[in-house]
Order: sequence, then structure tokens, then C-alpha cells
Amino acid sequence: MQEFDQIQSLWQSHSVEVKISPEEMLMQVKKDVTGIRRRSLLNIYGMVLSFAAIAALLIFFQSGPWTTQAGLVIIIVSVAVSTFILYKDYKIIANNDFTAHPNDFLLKLKAYQLNKFTIYTKLYWFYALALSLGSVLFFYETLGNLDLLLQTGIIAFTCFWMVLCATILRRSYIKREKERLDLLIEKFERISNQFKSQQ
Amino acid sequence: MEQKDQLFKQIFETNSRKIFHLCYGYTGDEDSANDLLQETFLKVWQNLDKFRNKSLISTWIYRIAVNTCLTYLRSEKRQAKDELTDNIIENRAEEFSEKNEQIALLYKSISKLEENDRLIITMVLDELPYQEIAEISGISEGNLRVKIHRIKLKLTELYNQHARI
Repeated sequence: MQEFDQIQSLWQSHSVEVKISPEEMLMQVKKDVTGIRRRSLLNIYGMVLSFAAIAALLIFFQSGPWTTQAGLVIIIVSVAVSTFILYKDYKIIANNDFTAHPNDFLLKLKAYQLNKFTIYTKLYWFYALALSLGSVLFFYETLGNLDLLLQTGIIAFTCFWMVLCATILRRSYIKREKERLDLLIEKFERISNQFKSQQ
Repeated sequence: MEQKDQLFKQIFETNSRKIFHLCYGYTGDEDSANDLLQETFLKVWQNLDKFRNKSLISTWIYRIAVNTCLTYLRSEKRQAKDELTDNIIENRAEEFSEKNEQIALLYKSISKLEENDRLIITMVLDELPYQEIAEISGISEGNLRVKIHRIKLKLTELYNQHARI
């Protein structure tokens, strides 16, 4: 038969060990937000790289027919516009210190999520349309010099890739990004609510 | 930012062990306690600027931890209480000894208490002053004394019951 005092000394004799260090904890608390910022920035870097690659093509194909030039111009303009939109979107969350103003950051995060959704639903189709038109014009003359089998192969691959991007890849990206942001928003809301109720 | 990082590290080093023990007592499971510890300190980090020194910082952190624990098991994603209790026994099976068995029984007995009682008794077991427990749990000190007396009896009874089986 044990008394409470014995139970208490048993409890105190059980030494628990915190397995996470303060440094790891600090990294952990900053990880979620910086992860979203980093992904957004990587997206922009990818677009800038595409812009540079197409710009190089435009410089080297200066002597080509007008259709090739027009195709490249359409593609480069659509990439530039998309990059600018992505950059504007990134700025929403980039300049806000979530530790100093968690509630402001929460609002920005919601705006960012909404913008992201608009980009990958409505605006995506304009982007895809511009890329398709640009590709058609670009390939119009370029493919003429190749044999039929290669032409068919390139056209089929381009069509397949665009359909894949517009359907499976786009949907899974939207879903994944939404889940990530929802989780972060939920976390910030839970924290804000708790502090509202304590004040 | 550097200053805030330093302050946070200092706060973490001073309070993490007790908060971890509180979470461990509440869930009876090391992994869940670790999750709760991290969530608690995430909240501490994000609200450090709002702390106004009206109470001890440890009291403030305990309050965050208690709220975090209470919302934790209510979430439908979490495991049921009984499953957690099984985990303790499973975790400890490999390092079986009489003392470990007693500790497992203690956690099992705590897990049979009501959610709020579990948190209160964990703080009592850690010898937090009654005044601080009252402030953390939002109960008047008079009521708390009565409540603690009742929980102590209940825990002792549960422990002895389990020990007999």
C-alpha cells in the first residue's frame, strides 16, 4: 500500500530527458515559415532561369523566320509576366516578421494562399495558352527541317507535357501547397486564439 | 533578432525539462510529449514579445503548455487515451525492472484521471507552489486545495488498485 508521498518520490525519481536542443528548437520554430518563403523563392529562380534560357534562344535565333521570333517573344513575355506575378506574391510574405506581428502575418498568409490559388487556377490558363501559341509559332518553321517521325515525336511530347502540367502536376501542386498553408494558418490561428482568450 | 534568439534559448534551457515532464505525465507517451513540448515552445517563441512580466515567465509557459495539452487529445487526429497508456507499457517492456514497472503503473494511474486533474496533479508532483498552480489553471487557491486533496486520494487509490492486479 503506497501513500501519496511515496508516489511523489517515485515521480521525481523518474528523470526525463529532453531530446531536442535549444538550437534545434529554434530551427524548428523558424522552419515552417522559412520553408514556404524558400519554396516561393525557388519557384521564382526557376522562372528566371527559364527566362534566361529563352532570352539566349532569342539572341541566337535572330536570323530565323518571323514565326520563330514571334513564338519566342510570346513565350518570353508570358514567362516574364508570370515571374513578376510570382514575385509580387512572394513579397506578401517576404517582408513580414511573423515573430513580431503574428496576427498581421496570419492575414498576409491568407492573402498569399488566395493569390496562389488564383495563379494556379485562372491565371494558369492564360499562361498555358500563351505558351502553347508561342510553341506552335516557334515550331512552325523549326520543325519543317526535321523528318516526319521526329516532328510527330516532338509535337506529341510537347502536347503530352502540357496536358500533364495542366492536369495531374498542377492539381497535385495546388493540393500540396494548400495543405501546407492550411496547416500553417491553422497553427497561427490556434496560437492567436489561445492568446486572445488569455488576455 | 539575435537577442530574441538568445533569450529564447535561455528560456528553453530553464523550462523545457519541467514542461516535458508535464506533457509526459499528461500523455504518458514520450513522442507525444515531445510534440507537445515543441508546440508549446513554438507558441512561446511567437508570443515572446507579448509577455508583459505580469506573472513569472515559468507560469506563463506552464499556461501555454496546459492549453496545448488540453487541445491536444481533443483533436480527432490524436490517439485515444487507452492506446497511449499501452504505449508506455510497450516502451518500457524492454527495460523491465521493478522500478520501471512502478513508474509505468504511475503513468497508467495518471492516465485514468480526468484531463484537467492529470495536469494539476503533474504540477503537484513537480512541487509547484499552489499559488502558481492556481494561476496556471485559473482556479481560486481555496478551490484548488480541495481539488488537489481529492485528486491525490484518487491517484493513490488508482495506483494501489493497479499495483494489486
